[in-house]
Amino acid sequence: MTALAVEIERSDSEARRHFTVEVGEPTMVLDVLLALQRTDASLAFRYSCRVAMCGTCTIRVDGRPVLACRTPVLLGADGLLLEPLAGLPVVRDLIVDTTPFSTAWRSVEPWFTPRADAEPRVLAADDPSREAIESGLDCISCGACWTACDLAGAEHRFLGPAALNRAMTLAADARDGARDRRLRLVSQEGGVTRCHYIHGCSGACPKGIDPAASIRRLRRWSIGAGR
Amino acid sequence: MPGADAPLPVLETDVAIIGSGGAGLMCALHAAAADPRLSITIVSKGAVGRSGCTRMVQGGFNAVLGEGDSLESHFRDTLEGGHYLNDQELAWTLVNEAPRVIQELEEQFGCLFDRTATGELDLKPFGGQSFDRTVHRADQTGLEIMSRLRDQVFRIGARELEDWRALDLLFDQHGELSGLTVLDTRSGQAAVMLARVVVVATGGSATMYRIAAPAREKTGDGVAMCYRAGLELRDMEMLQFHPTGLVAGTSALTGTVLEEGLRGAGAQLRNRLGERYMERVDPERLERSTRDVVARASYTEIVEGRGTPAGGVLLDISHLGAAEVERRFGEMAARTRLIGADLAVGPVEVSPTAHFHMGGVVIDPDCLTSVHGLLVAGEDSGGTHGANRLGGNGVAESTVFGARAGETAAAIIGGRGLYMPEPELVAASVERAYAPLRREGGQPPFALTDRLKDTMWVHCGLVRTREGLLQAREQLAELAKESSRVAVAGPRDANPAWQQAIDLESQLTVARLIVESALVREESRGAHFRADFPERDDESWLRAIVVERGRDGEPELTTRPVELTRLATGGRMLEQA
Ligand SMILES: Cc1cc2nc3c(=O)[nH]c(=O)nc-3n(C[C@H](O)[C@H](O)[C@H](O)COP(=O)(O)OP(=O)(O)OC[C@H]3O[C@@H](n4cnc5c(N)ncnc54)[C@H](O)[C@@H]3O)c2cc1C
Ligand code: FES
Repeated sequence: MTALAVEIERSDSEARRHFTVEVGEPTMVLDVLLALQRTDASLAFRYSCRVAMCGTCTIRVDGRPVLACRTPVLLGADGLLLEPLAGLPVVRDLIVDTTPFSTAWRSVEPWFTPRADAEPRVLAADDPSREAIESGLDCISCGACWTACDLAGAEHRFLGPAALNRAMTLAADARDGARDRRLRLVSQEGGVTRCHYIHGCSGACPKGIDPAASIRRLRRWSIGAGR
Repeated sequence: MPGADAPLPVLETDVAIIGSGGAGLMCALHAAAADPRLSITIVSKGAVGRSGCTRMVQGGFNAVLGEGDSLESHFRDTLEGGHYLNDQELAWTLVNEAPRVIQELEEQFGCLFDRTATGELDLKPFGGQSFDRTVHRADQTGLEIMSRLRDQVFRIGARELEDWRALDLLFDQHGELSGLTVLDTRSGQAAVMLARVVVVATGGSATMYRIAAPAREKTGDGVAMCYRAGLELRDMEMLQFHPTGLVAGTSALTGTVLEEGLRGAGAQLRNRLGERYMERVDPERLERSTRDVVARASYTEIVEGRGTPAGGVLLDISHLGAAEVERRFGEMAARTRLIGADLAVGPVEVSPTAHFHMGGVVIDPDCLTSVHGLLVAGEDSGGTHGANRLGGNGVAESTVFGARAGETAAAIIGGRGLYMPEPELVAASVERAYAPLRREGGQPPFALTDRLKDTMWVHCGLVRTREGLLQAREQLAELAKESSRVAVAGPRDANPAWQQAIDLESQLTVARLIVESALVREESRGAHFRADFPERDDESWLRAIVVERGRDGEPELTTRPVELTRLATGGRMLEQA
């Protein structure tokens, strides 16, 4: 076991910010939070699954947006700085209100719409649209990309990487019947043209998705589809 | 407590759905499809569509879709796996409707499941099944299903109360269901929700064990609230341990599941001596035996001193080759690398982990309960899986019965009004929830939660005895006493410690019912193993243990014969009328 200094950004300016915690191997940042909760029961943080599936434990660790449950604490590190995600209103301590993120997601009409004109079709293992869809699946809506993107997180004038990535997976899906409508939706102000390809999102995604590539694809298709 | 004594806000809805896992969201979608005019409210203790276990389903979904497979075969496997304790009508409903739900998930909701090069669904082998019938998307099946259901819920525009927890069911003075009390955990404000129909889908619980797999929210709230409201529960002693939970020291990663498909794909289990012990225990099915058998075998190795120093056994699939493991079980491999092991190249330490509760509220195939207007679906219900659930039948259950609950809700709503709840019920419920904040001088719940988990792990786990269970009974009584002194200093907004204090109450209630039922069942069947009664005894025990709250507030247990409506023990299909 080694002692680790932890600083946590708290909502209440009176609340304790500095802690020391004994950590062994293996320890995730979530384990640190669970241990500190026993020292200070008022500490607020969110989690559910512990296995990178729910996307609710996202916080900033030393400035980087990460999943607390998926981020090992390096033994011998100087210390840890834990802060709530940037770009979203703070509810308390490390808990943020993800409404802006889900509003953006919702606005691309993220639901699958079966094609009315054809028999339901299946996508075989080697169907070309599978590769594109699968490149964007498994998003857990954790918001790491939102925080990492200046245009989405800081300015709220952009639908953001996750919503556009979802739109891409639908537009790539030969089974979906709302392609044209969705391509129009993402071509509006605040949509695909707003992305400046700084790639903050792709670097931040804990699931290894490359939203910037998805946006590039989507932009290509939306030009093809006409406005 | 500020605000707690002011009049409570009152919300109204046609259908209140408690829980947003597979059962909750399928229910919402099917209720909306059956009658688009319904107002639907989803009350979800965690993030909508992103809490609970359906999302954590890695392995997959059993459905009869392959050529040569049959409903009868899936049904037979389900009953064999359940040791014939199943409610056969529920099991039949599951088997019969699972293929249709897969079709709906794919064609209507756009789920992308793995298919072969020729376009057929890629069906993978799972434990305890005579045919490969597990539909999946790599090892992230639940994520795909829940993400797509969540997207559809945006479409129907239901009212979503995220991070709100249901507290108690409410009734009017004549005993009509009138709705529930709810708590917005972000603001800490309680409220009354009037509803014509209430659907309980909180996903049961298996979290009251030291090593456990489920998501944080799953503390038995739904089952406990139904028990308090006087409903019958069955098979509470049937708590499933998954054979392969990760062993990761004090990390919360301990107990998380390495999926069933690994054993299906040929992973081997060995003890510290290198011995492949399943050769001894079940030479025919080996690691692909049912969960109860494999989990108990591993447990026995560990307690008899043949486990690893950290208290595990070794799971090894590296003979497939690193690339193949990476392709098929990428997320599993990534997780093991976090703790300094690597599934792709060598063995990983695992232990049985508390996983799923077969027991729950008594329902019929339409999810109806004994209370008019109250439906239960998913893991909160009991009977479908009998004494042991097959891998892949869990997500099938939550989606099949969630859909049915939605349809039933729409069908019965015409006969239901809004009824004013008894004020004393509201007051008692809210008082109970706020009590930890109002107390002074007590301790937060953490130490008690730990003790509960230890008690259940040691005395009411994979191997049980009368003596151990009696100790558990005593320790739980002591814990219940101490829990009435738990205090959390506040604040009341977004305070997980306070929420855990409320969780503890539900967990203690459910734990007690597990222990009491386990004491009654003097035989071994499926997940319930009594070292003092090690044999299955069909003569006396082809019976379900049913528990309800007696007049004196204490659990009242009875037994009820299992009705063999379709399949006799030994596997003979009965003629259907
Ligand atoms: C790690 C893991 C892996 C699994 N893998 C498989 C598999 O491969 N195949 C398979 O078939 N099954 C699997 N299962 C089982 C499967 O997940 C369950 O059978 C099923 O998903 C339960 O669905 P549900 O809708 O009943 O509950 P859940 O999906 O668990 O949802 C419960 C919901 O209730 C909410 N809730 C809880 N309490 C309250 C409250 N008081 N008020 C309001 N809301 C509340 C939660 O926030 C959540 O939204 C797995 C389970 C786990 C834990
Ligand atoms: S707790 Fe679910 S992603 Fe971290």
